[in-house]
Amino acid sequence: MSDPSNNAAATKAGITIKTSPEDHLIAWLAALAIAIHIIESVLPSPLPGVKPGLANVITIAVFILYGWRTAVWVSMLRVLVGSILIGTFLSPTFMLSFSGAVASLLVLWLASHLPGKGLGPIGLCLIAAMAHMFGQFYTAYLLFIPHQGLFKLLPLLMTAAVIFGIISGIIVRSMLQHLEKRKNNATTSTTAQRNEQEE
Amino acid sequence: MTRADYCAVLFAALLLPYLYISQWSDDEAGISATIMNGNETTKVSLAHNHTLKVDGALGTSIIKIEDGKIRFVASPCLGKQCIHSGWLAHAGEFAACLPNRISVAVLGEAARFDSIIF
Repeated sequence: MSDPSNNAAATKAGITIKTSPEDHLIAWLAALAIAIHIIESVLPSPLPGVKPGLANVITIAVFILYGWRTAVWVSMLRVLVGSILIGTFLSPTFMLSFSGAVASLLVLWLASHLPGKGLGPIGLCLIAAMAHMFGQFYTAYLLFIPHQGLFKLLPLLMTAAVIFGIISGIIVRSMLQHLEKRKNNATTSTTAQRNEQEE
Repeated sequence: MTRADYCAVLFAALLLPYLYISQWSDDEAGISATIMNGNETTKVSLAHNHTLKVDGALGTSIIKIEDGKIRFVASPCLGKQCIHSGWLAHAGEFAACLPNRISVAVLGEAARFDSIIF
């Protein structure tokens, strides 16, 4: 994590914390995910446990762009800081959110070891959303409501997870296409500028 | 969309009907009870209304199942304690006809009480 060649450092009373570009990247992305997480927590939900899970859009995009390790950082920071800011830290809501995030990260880890081209944004979002729901559901079953009747809710919750998973997959796909386009534009514009300067 | 994406969507499309069928079908619904006759144990579902005749040590006890509840309605014993136990609906509830050596217990995930002492 710490790279001595980078001098973006915070100095206070002789203590120096060195940060790497990766740290900054994680912090920016986590901040984005936390903002979405908090905005989403204000939205009313038709059923407990049903949420669009838009913050997972960031997790999946980070997974595709920067790999699994960075996605773990961003996702865990999002759950931790988001819960502290909303005020649900260590409450049942936090437990559910945390277990869901862990389950979806585990599934993403498996997906990163798939042979061939592997999963695209839509497939990744779908399996992550489903894993999130299963993780959350079993935590709720084991810790909070150990009653067989809870399983009656599973089909409905899973349907919501599949629908929202596919929707967020589409969002991730268009987001990545957008980023790709901007990147191409940026490189062409910088080369154009350079050409102008040379002329 | 890669081939793995289609596989993931197909998996979800197959999982959902499976969940609806396995969780929402009537056979799995509701609670069940065990009827002990001597050393013999039979499990019955309380989902469908019907009346059972169980031959015990003294004679035939009649056990009725209705709306997810179960009770003794007739027994050849003297005290009729089993009939006075009334309807049993919650996990852990229990009625026995000791002379006829028949007992009924409602099953469930968690019993409401560990034991009841009179």
